[in-house]
Amino acid sequence: MNQTNQMMTGNLAAAWGARLADVDYVPAFPITPQTEIVETLSKWCGTGALNARFVTMDSEHSMMTAAGAAAATGARVFTATSSQGLLHAFEVLYTVAGWRVPLVLVNVSRALASPITLEPDHNDVLAARDSGFLQIHAETCQEIVDSILMAYRIAEDPRVCLPVMVNLDGFYLSFTREPVILPDPRMVQAFLPAYRPTHLGFKASSPRALGTAVLGGATYSYFRHQNHLASMNALLVHEEAAVDFERLCGRRYDLVEGYRLDDAEDVLIMTNAFASKGKAAVDVARAEGKRVGLLRLRVIRPWPADAIRHALQGRRAVAVLDQNLSPGQGGILFQEIAASLYHEALRPRALCSFIGGLGGKNLSEGEFRAIFEQTAEAGVRGKGIGPVLLYTEMEYREMEQLQYLAHDLKTGK
Amino acid sequence: MRAVRFHGRGGQGAKTASRILGTAAFLEGFVAQDSPIYGAERRGAPVAAFTRIDTLPIKQRGAIVHPDLVVVADASLVQDPAARVLEGIDERTAVFVNSPLIAEQFQAKTSLPGRLTTLDLTDIALQQFGKRGAISALLGAVAGRLVGLQRESIREAIARELADLGLAAAVIERNQTTALQCYDAVPAVPLETGSPRPIVPVLLRTPTYEPPTRGTAGITAGPNSAIRSVAGWRTFRPVLRPDLCNGCWLCFANCPEGAIAIKPDGKPAIYYPHCKGCLDCVEVCPTDALTVERETEAAREA
Repeated sequence: MNQTNQMMTGNLAAAWGARLADVDYVPAFPITPQTEIVETLSKWCGTGALNARFVTMDSEHSMMTAAGAAAATGARVFTATSSQGLLHAFEVLYTVAGWRVPLVLVNVSRALASPITLEPDHNDVLAARDSGFLQIHAETCQEIVDSILMAYRIAEDPRVCLPVMVNLDGFYLSFTREPVILPDPRMVQAFLPAYRPTHLGFKASSPRALGTAVLGGATYSYFRHQNHLASMNALLVHEEAAVDFERLCGRRYDLVEGYRLDDAEDVLIMTNAFASKGKAAVDVARAEGKRVGLLRLRVIRPWPADAIRHALQGRRAVAVLDQNLSPGQGGILFQEIAASLYHEALRPRALCSFIGGLGGKNLSEGEFRAIFEQTAEAGVRGKGIGPVLLYTEMEYREMEQLQYLAHDLKTGK
Repeated sequence: MRAVRFHGRGGQGAKTASRILGTAAFLEGFVAQDSPIYGAERRGAPVAAFTRIDTLPIKQRGAIVHPDLVVVADASLVQDPAARVLEGIDERTAVFVNSPLIAEQFQAKTSLPGRLTTLDLTDIALQQFGKRGAISALLGAVAGRLVGLQRESIREAIARELADLGLAAAVIERNQTTALQCYDAVPAVPLETGSPRPIVPVLLRTPTYEPPTRGTAGITAGPNSAIRSVAGWRTFRPVLRPDLCNGCWLCFANCPEGAIAIKPDGKPAIYYPHCKGCLDCVEVCPTDALTVERETEAAREA
C-alpha cells in the first residue's frame, strides 16, 4: 500500500501517530517543547481531519485524570506532555495504570528543574518507570509515528491492558525535521483495528467503580502483581506486534536494537535520539579497526532483560551511557543493566558507567572517543569504572565564566 | 554530508530558511535534516538553525559544530559573542553574509575566516516587498545555490514552506521570483570535500564538590538589565516625529522592553540602548508619528 514520505518534526510525527491511530479523545495541556503536538491535534480536530474530541484542561493532573477516565469508557485516548508537566501528572500515572486503561501518552523529554532548562535528558521519563506505564523510547521521527501505532496495539491487547508512554527527545527530535514515511491509513487499520475493550465500558447507564479500596494487603498484592505480569506479557505482545508491523510496512522494531554488534568486543548502551550520534561514533571507531558496537534500549518497561543478556553475552566490556542522573547513585540504566548481568556466567569483564547529555549537552565525537578508550582499558583490566560525568575542560571554563558573571563581582561571593 | 548553519535574529526567518533548504534537498532525493535552536524566544535575539544534507541516513543531530557553509542573516551578529557565528569556522568554510559591503570589504572589517560571499538581501527585500524582514526565502535560495541545489527545487521548497506559514499565493510567488534572482546573483562556491576533520580527543574534567554558593544555580550580582544594551539586536529602529504625536501613550503601553518613557510634555522618548527593534510601537501608533528607519552602524552607536 501507499506510504507517503515527507519532511516532518518529531512533534508533527507524534500528532500524525495519534491521527493515524484514529483516536477518539485528546485531553491537552501545552508545555514546551511538546506544545506543537497538541496545537496540531487541536487544529485537526477543528477542521475535522481528525474525528476526536479535543479538550484543553487546567493542568496535567486533570489532563491525565480525564485521559484515564475517557479510556475507561472504551474510547481510544491520546495525550502528550513533557518534563515538569509529567511530574505534575505523576499521582495519576499510577492511578490509571492500576485501572488498566490502554491509553498512549507521549512524553517529550526535557530535563527537570532546578535549575531550569528546555533541553532534554531522561530524568523526567525515567522517574515514571515504576508507574505501571510501558515505555517506548524513539530514536528518530519515523520511529515516533510507528511506535505510537505499535503502542496502541500493545496497550489494547487483552494480555496487557496498560497505558504506554512513548518518549521522544525535546529539540533533538521535537523540533528536528527529517524524512518520515506515513503509513497508509488502510494499512494502519489492518494493523490496529477499532478498539473493542472487554473489561472496560464505563458509562452512565452501567455504573462501576475503578480503583476500589482493598485493605489488608493480600488483595492489594494480588492486583499489583497482576500489573507486573501484564507488563511482562508485553514482551511477547511487542514481538508479535513487531512482526505484523514489519509485514505491513516493512520497518522492524525490536525491544532492543543492535548496531554493528556481531563481532564487537566492547558495547556501548544508549537510548533515544543521541543513539544516532552513538552509531556515527561506532562507525568512526570501526573505520579505525576497533571492534565496538552499540545496543539501543528501545523498550525500557517492561525491562527486556533476556534480550539484553543475549546481546551482551561474552563481550569484553560494556559502557552504559545514561542521559540521566540519580543523585547519590549515578546512572539509572546502568544499575538495571548491572542487575540483569549479575547471574550471567558469560557476563562482560567490565561494566562502565558514563553520564552524558544532561540538559541536552552535546556529546561530541571526542567524548565518544574517550568513552571507547576508557571502556577498552577497563575491559583489559577486568575492572569497571564510573560513574564518569562527561564534562570537558572547555565546558568547565565556560561555566566558570558564567559563574563569574552571575555573582557579585565586588565581594567575589 | 553538507552541513549548513544559519544565524539570524528572532523574526528574520533563519529557521524558515533552514527548512527551505532542507525541503529543497529532500525534493532532490537527498536525505535532509533541519532543526532550530531557540528557547526563551525574543524578537531580535540571536537564533541559529541547522540543515544537514546527505545521500545516506544522517546520524548527527542538533547543533552543527563544523559547518561547511554558514549563512548569516544579520551582519551585526558576527561581532556578537553570544551568537557564536565564528564557532567552528576555518579557511575552508563557505560563508554568506547579508551585507551591503562586498566580500573583500566585509572580510577586511571583521577578519572573518572562510570563503566569503555577500549580497544585500535586506535592501532587495525592501525594494521588492517595500517592507522590512521577509528575507527567509532569499536566505534559503542563496544557501541552496551555495550548496549546489537546483533552481526548481528551491522554487518548490519556498512554495511549500511559505504556504505552511499561511502566506497568500501572490506573496509566495513574489518571494519565489525575488529569491531566485538572489539565487542567480550568487556565484556557486564549490564546498570543500577534503578529508574529514580529525577527531580531537577531549580533555575530560569532572567537577569536584564546591560550596553551595557556587554549586547551586543563582545570581547574586546586582540587576544588570539597566546597563545591558540590546541596540545590536536591531535591524530597523522606530523614529518619532513629535509634531505628529498626539500623546496617546499607546507606544509607551505596548513597548515590551520599557524602552519608551514619557517626557514632562506628555510626548514619548525612545531610549535606544534598550530598544531591540521589535517595532510594536510603530504598529500601534494611530497617527504614524512613529516611522521605521533601517539601522546603520553609525545610528546604532548613537
